[in-house]
Amino acid sequence: MKLGAMINDIFESIFKHPVTEHYPFERKETPSQFRGQLQWNRENCTGCGLCAKDCPANAIEVIVLDRKAKQFVFHYNVDHCLFCAQCVHSCRQGCLSMQPQLWELAALSRDGYQLYYGNENDIQTYLASQTAAEPAATPRPAVQPVALD
Amino acid sequence: MELGPVARVWHQGVPEMNPIVALLIFPGGLFVLTLGLAYEWVDRKLLARAQNRVGPRWFQPLADVFKLLAKEEVIPNDVNPLLFVGLPIAALAGALTAALYVPIFGLAPAYSFEGDLIVTVYLLSLLTLCMGLAGANTLNRFALVGATRTLTQLFSYEAPFMLALLAPAFVAQTWQISAINSYASTHWLIVTQPIGFLVALIGLMGKLELPPFDAPEAETEIVAGAMTEYSGRGLALFRLGKGVEMVVGLTLVAAFYLGGIGGPLDFLLKTGALLIAIVIIQALMTRLRIEQTVGLWWRWGALLVLVQLLLYILWEVVTA
Amino acid sequence: MKQEPQKVITKKGERFIIPIGPQHPALKEPGHFEFAVDGETVTDATVRLGYVHRGIEKGVESRNWVQNLYMLERICGICSHTHAMTYCLGVEKLAAVEVPERAQVIRLIMAELERIHSHMLWLGVAAHEAGFDTLFMYTWRDRETVMDLLELLSGNRVNYSANLLGGVKFDISPEQADKIRQGLAFLAERNTHYLDVVMNDMLLLGRIRGVGVMTREQAEKLGAIGPTARASGVARDVRLDAPYGAYRTFKPKLILETAGDLEARFIVRLREIADSCRLINEALDNLPSGDLTVRMPRRIKEGETISRVEAPRGEAFYFIKSNGSDIPERIKVRTPTICNMGSVLALAKGHQLADMPMILVGIDPCFSCNDRMITLRRSDGEAETWSWGQLREYGIKAYQR
Repeated sequence: MKLGAMINDIFESIFKHPVTEHYPFERKETPSQFRGQLQWNRENCTGCGLCAKDCPANAIEVIVLDRKAKQFVFHYNVDHCLFCAQCVHSCRQGCLSMQPQLWELAALSRDGYQLYYGNENDIQTYLASQTAAEPAATPRPAVQPVALD
Repeated sequence: MELGPVARVWHQGVPEMNPIVALLIFPGGLFVLTLGLAYEWVDRKLLARAQNRVGPRWFQPLADVFKLLAKEEVIPNDVNPLLFVGLPIAALAGALTAALYVPIFGLAPAYSFEGDLIVTVYLLSLLTLCMGLAGANTLNRFALVGATRTLTQLFSYEAPFMLALLAPAFVAQTWQISAINSYASTHWLIVTQPIGFLVALIGLMGKLELPPFDAPEAETEIVAGAMTEYSGRGLALFRLGKGVEMVVGLTLVAAFYLGGIGGPLDFLLKTGALLIAIVIIQALMTRLRIEQTVGLWWRWGALLVLVQLLLYILWEVVTA
Repeated sequence: MKQEPQKVITKKGERFIIPIGPQHPALKEPGHFEFAVDGETVTDATVRLGYVHRGIEKGVESRNWVQNLYMLERICGICSHTHAMTYCLGVEKLAAVEVPERAQVIRLIMAELERIHSHMLWLGVAAHEAGFDTLFMYTWRDRETVMDLLELLSGNRVNYSANLLGGVKFDISPEQADKIRQGLAFLAERNTHYLDVVMNDMLLLGRIRGVGVMTREQAEKLGAIGPTARASGVARDVRLDAPYGAYRTFKPKLILETAGDLEARFIVRLREIADSCRLINEALDNLPSGDLTVRMPRRIKEGETISRVEAPRGEAFYFIKSNGSDIPERIKVRTPTICNMGSVLALAKGHQLADMPMILVGIDPCFSCNDRMITLRRSDGEAETWSWGQLREYGIKAYQR
């Protein structure tokens, strides 16, 4: 039984710097295992689509333009991604990796979150076909307001 | 009015002040409010550092007050609106009036008469009473429980705290604060009446509802206690009142037990030391349940002060 | 809009009810408790859950086995590894796959690190509920150590995603092992200090000794599990009763207290931290070599199984049924909090209102884990389909009452 069992901690702390990290001003280095933004390496990809199949957040879409010519577009939704690295382990060719440095991904709009990896021409072809095929976006039906009396 | 030697020198240097200025700006009114905010900041900052945190920046208490003043004050249904608006004003007015009777910043009190000690102690209780009433005025369940606890706590610490402040009055043979102050400047009563000092200091913590006596506003149980329904100006006034009460209370305890307050430096050093002591006690303690608080005060606080008083009376009888 | 003046108590004999939750500073998670009080004494307690039901059990029925790993990992933010591990153990049992030993030990290390992190978090929360904010700040400061270790190993602080079906994702290098040992040494030292504080600080003891006493009989009757049960002297620990994975080789100590009060729960959890430190060190010293994963089939053989894991809060229980496709047919999850919730209601009666948050936190509740669905039936007979407009109208009416 004692009164004030934490007195030593208190006196130690008063003469010490607070442990609070000054985050935006000082950044801690991330460990090498850290799972940041996904990176796709086109060299070995076979377009099997296992990464897309296993993705729990449906953040990946592998678009095969021509399998023989290895024309793939890798569509990655950064804002859907859970950073679980399942795709990295699902890929048998080792095409995918998470970049430990790219982790400050917050933004005010979702515009920058659609990433297309692949050959520049392939991406252009794919995007052009998309805009041609897609009809004008229909606005979602608005919720019917209920009158408050 | 009798002044201590140091106070006398200080007073010769200060020209006569316009009473209105003295009342509203310095040393009363605005100055006490500022002092209250500054002490609140020291309290919060030191507590944060004791917990290895960074703590607020120096203008945070002021910013809080500004923010609250700018906010809409929501008056809930089914309260007496007059009381709801009036109680915070009465509370702050009580605390500010109490400040006029104590040697704030080492200056002589603005008003002084035989028996002003009693008036001051009651004015200090006015804030707690107003908070209790404010809680009871609303229908909020948390506020009701908080109000009950606030008033229960008031009745528990009030008697020991009063006795602890009366003990120096007995020794000094006067019930006038300035006279006790000048008597204390030659006698360090903390040496002869250590129990009274402890009870007064801890009683002050009970009055200010600081941990471990924060059961009336225990956020994990009853949200904000009696203050739950207050949002804008009312809350700001109550908070300001608390700050003023802290300054007044610290001044009283320092003046009575720590060798009197003879000047500004004296004031800052002594009340500062007491504030640090309060912060350390705050950091070390777990919140007491309300019945533990009551038990502590009546079983230990009141009894110990009475024993000390008895010893003093016996001493007087024997030496006489 | 003039409303009828509402009264807290309208007639004599009516109960004064203090609501705690779903939004309340004592509970950072939404659960609703109603404590009927007489002065400061609690006379009755009821609970209402279901504010954060997310339909995970239904959700897993439309995702494949691999995707479900991450779905189920998100049942709980604190014991995420436990849930993933329980699921993996079950699926591996169904598929009759033997996970490499090294992977099993790494799973154990992660699970024990998670237990340390969970118990330290709990210690801070409990201290905060008791109004001892200093202890709260210090425990959470020191918890950063174990969070950093988890990040060092897995790359993430909360949802570690350490498991794969058939193994684990990462290895532990000798340098990492050294860092873990250093961190654990620090934690063990701090843990001894906190144990000393909890067992000796007079005011804290005044709040926890003899409060919320659950006798052994009560604990068994109420079906309490985990540290809550062990604090009442019930020897119940899945790691020992039905060892799984690497716990077959590395045995934890059974930590029992008999008092059954809040102090005993503090002590049990703190001693478990110490034991977890020992267990991790032992596992690191005897890390078997070998592969990290084995190949898993994408379709799991038809069948059903159960798997049980000792989560930091008690036993996590999974029932998994497969119909032979790459999507599970049914997964039933029972998390530990739901078992312990009964004890809160039983213990509340007769205690002070000030003890309520403490008793509630004493079981280390996790609300998003235990939430269950409630079906609302429409008054016009149509059973379960509600349009958005109807729901909105229902909500407005419910609040106007």
